[in-house]
Amino acid sequence: MSHEPPSVKQEDLPKGVVLKEHTYDGIQEYDQRLPRWWLITLYGAMLFAAAYFLVYQYYSGSQSNQERVEDQMKQINAIRLANSIDVTNNDMFWDMSKNSSFLTAGEKTYQSNCVPCHGADLKGGIGFNLVDGEWVHGAKPSDIYTTVFDGVPDKGMQAWGPVLGQKQITEVVAYVMSKNDEATLRAAGE
Amino acid sequence: MSTTTRTATTTIEYDDKSVRWFLIASIVWALVGLSAGVLVASQLNFFQMNFNMEWLTFGRLRPLHTNAAIFAFVGNMMFAGIYYSTQRLCRCRLGNDLLTKIHFFGWQLIIVLAAITLPLGYSRGKEYAELIWPINILVAVIWLVFAANFFWTLAKRNEKSLYVAIWFYIATIVTVTMLYVVNHLSLPTSFLHSYPIFGGVQDALVQWWYGHNAVAFFLTTPILGIMYYFVPKAAGRPVYSYRLSVIHFWSLVFIYIWAGPHHLLNTALPGWLQTLGMLFSLMLWAPSWGGMLNGLLTLRGAWDKLRTDPVIKFFAAGVTFYGMATFEGPLMSIKSVNALSHYSDWTIGHVHGGTLGWNGFMAAGMTYWLAPRLWNTKLYSQGMANLHFWLGMVGILLYVAAMWVSGITQGLMLNDTIEQGTLLKYPNFLDTLQAIRPMMLFRLIGGGLYLTGFFMLAFNIYKTVKSGSPVNGTVEVESAMQEMTGDEKKFRGYLNPPVIYSVLILGSAAMLIFGKGPVFLVGVFFTGVFTLAAISHFEFSGAKWSEWYDQLLEHGLTFTVLTIIAAAIGGAVQIIPTVTVQRASNIEGRLQIAYTPLELTGRDIYVSEGCYNCHSQMIRTMTPDILRYGDYSRLGESIYDHPFQWGSKRTGPDLAREGGDIQKGAELMRVGKRSNDWHYLHLVDPRQVSDGSNMPNYDWLQFKDAKTGTLMSKINAMRMLGVPYDIGLSEEEVMAEYNLQAQEIVDDLAASGVFVEKEKQIVAVIAYLQKLGAFEMTNEKKKQEKEEATHLPFESVATATPANN
Repeated sequence: MSHEPPSVKQEDLPKGVVLKEHTYDGIQEYDQRLPRWWLITLYGAMLFAAAYFLVYQYYSGSQSNQERVEDQMKQINAIRLANSIDVTNNDMFWDMSKNSSFLTAGEKTYQSNCVPCHGADLKGGIGFNLVDGEWVHGAKPSDIYTTVFDGVPDKGMQAWGPVLGQKQITEVVAYVMSKNDEATLRAAGE
Repeated sequence: MSTTTRTATTTIEYDDKSVRWFLIASIVWALVGLSAGVLVASQLNFFQMNFNMEWLTFGRLRPLHTNAAIFAFVGNMMFAGIYYSTQRLCRCRLGNDLLTKIHFFGWQLIIVLAAITLPLGYSRGKEYAELIWPINILVAVIWLVFAANFFWTLAKRNEKSLYVAIWFYIATIVTVTMLYVVNHLSLPTSFLHSYPIFGGVQDALVQWWYGHNAVAFFLTTPILGIMYYFVPKAAGRPVYSYRLSVIHFWSLVFIYIWAGPHHLLNTALPGWLQTLGMLFSLMLWAPSWGGMLNGLLTLRGAWDKLRTDPVIKFFAAGVTFYGMATFEGPLMSIKSVNALSHYSDWTIGHVHGGTLGWNGFMAAGMTYWLAPRLWNTKLYSQGMANLHFWLGMVGILLYVAAMWVSGITQGLMLNDTIEQGTLLKYPNFLDTLQAIRPMMLFRLIGGGLYLTGFFMLAFNIYKTVKSGSPVNGTVEVESAMQEMTGDEKKFRGYLNPPVIYSVLILGSAAMLIFGKGPVFLVGVFFTGVFTLAAISHFEFSGAKWSEWYDQLLEHGLTFTVLTIIAAAIGGAVQIIPTVTVQRASNIEGRLQIAYTPLELTGRDIYVSEGCYNCHSQMIRTMTPDILRYGDYSRLGESIYDHPFQWGSKRTGPDLAREGGDIQKGAELMRVGKRSNDWHYLHLVDPRQVSDGSNMPNYDWLQFKDAKTGTLMSKINAMRMLGVPYDIGLSEEEVMAEYNLQAQEIVDDLAASGVFVEKEKQIVAVIAYLQKLGAFEMTNEKKKQEKEEATHLPFESVATATPANN
């Protein structure tokens, strides 16, 4: 093994640089002082850790993850409540179903969330056909809304309320209504 | 030191043949492991890349990729490096030639067995610990053979004290033994299957204590040892700082172990553990950089070689990537950063910065340095090695940058809300997948370049080997080494200030962590006092301390014991309280409903297919997670999961609340967020219902029968692990229940126009998916939540889940 490292000698080194006497398989070691910034990082992190742990675990004002997220969810629910729509108002749905801006929005939501089960043409698949005039879970606009919002857990339709919110669901309902014959749908809802 | 003046010497021949074998094995397995990586990366963009073969699906091959890269490639590389350097640092031949042979062939046998069983779907379902229990035992035995061989070498060494590389090797051997054994404790149900003895949160904690420290003690410490030998050798420069070695070694070994829980931030893991995981990760930054500094500053004065010598290039870049990855790691361990990065590609990028950059480049540097010396020749082509370096470099940068962009993009999209934070901006998970597809393609290209580089290495080494002939190193040693130990002063291994102070400080810190009231205050007080005392004592008599340390280095056993203690403390403090804790305080008022025989069968298929590689079952305590998947997960909801399935990556959505209640009129069949036929179609061809999905087709699930032969022994094993199955259950009853539930699902599917036999795997998997998240409330919690519910005008999202009673 020809490649032994050339040895460094202590007397050639500048003052303050210490070379350990012992070598291992020709490997020498300096004993340089530790960089100051490195030491500060090391000890700083330790001090920070101790302080953080004490404050986080024992300061009475600090919340657990669970408490914090429960609070946030309460705030979200409060905002939802303040912005809530009267979804029992069937006339509102009929008005919306004739307004193109709601229908465009409703179609978009339908296309990205409902197509896998109800089909792009609303003729069903895994889920029911939405244009055949048959309304198993109620034909009133507010019934349709409730079906979408709460889902049909027993049949494997998920509750879309938490995911889409009231506004988007009313739009989707309006879109579905617009694809049905108004007279038939009104009659079915009586 | 040596008092021997006699000139009598003996010539010792090193066992370099074994080094050559391990080196070649590492190159071969590198090609296999990296190719598997490129293949699975391509599957994420092109789901067809498994050629519709069950053995090549992402869920089965990703474990093969990680196991091959870690244990086969880096494992063999590390054994080559350790055996080569330890012989020279101890100036003696390896402990025992037979042990070396058993070690080599045993390890290759393990790898071959892994390469066979993993694609066949035999898996324990825990990351980097997937191999089935008979192989686990083989791994443990071979690892102990390695350990025995190594310590035997130390015992007969002709070198009085231990060089820093050896410290790292010792830490590797003892810690990996500890981690591996604890995380692989299992209860076998058949020759090919077992359940981990820990479940739920306990399994999660043990798994990531292991998983994180496999990175620490399999991919980091041995390679640091190798760095400390090969970098000064290749550079021809002294190591920068001995005292830096001392401090960063001990702080690394002590602190690393604590950081495991940072893989479980914002989950149901108890808060104090999350805090410890984050803080110790932050504290890990400086010790890691200590290693990088010592490596880079050793190269100082040899920078001219950087232009010409590929070995130095690889080492310099490898150490730099180590520094980058160990800065990124603490950053990602900060809870709020982790809320974005966790479950995303950022983690994948982080890991590959470490593995491709640090492990891969250090391996390449070592290989290019060793091969000419082991075969007594010159490297076949320096130019090709240089090209390998640049290909690898560009490959890593493409890979890592793509994963950063991808992870951050998807993380931001998943967490993005509209309407004052009340709704998700991208409720459809697939929208976020489409956004990162170009990035996943860049990752594939980067990985491909890196793999090409390693093929060039293989060719280069092949040519080098052909041009030379094997040669074994030799060393002249004085015959009378024994006399060197004769003049030894009395050594007080444990009763020394550094050890005593460490014990006192740790003892009082433990009081601080666990104590309440006065005990806690006493803990705070004494932690401070002892720390200050240690600092001032060191200021006055530091020289004595270093004298003690020099002596310690001559006592391998004492050194090893202290290393074990330092490495064991973190795990003990975190795991023992979690494992022994009262169950009631560990379930947060919710208790998982045990799986029916059919659901259990489905779960075993889910685990064996490796679904956890892409789907988590853990809704974090974050509003975007709750809005997307439902109420956040409680500890009790996975308490019977052996192994836990919280997951570490969401290539697909979380499944924790996919299931639901028993359908009205049905005996056992549950229906969750989606209907049975949705699940059926989705499993057979995901794109039928999830347009643009990158999940493979699992169409064989509808043709293959589920194995029920060992169901009884599985249920018995589960009962032994504490899952409440009736003790008197007979096999007939179990099968009757199985058939009843399967028939209900089959009938329900038939009503939707899907026809399948009830023995098929797909029925069991659907049953399992429809069960996910089912729990019952314990009494006092029920009342409390009912009261809360009355305050809210419409059903609170926090309780509006199908699984909720």
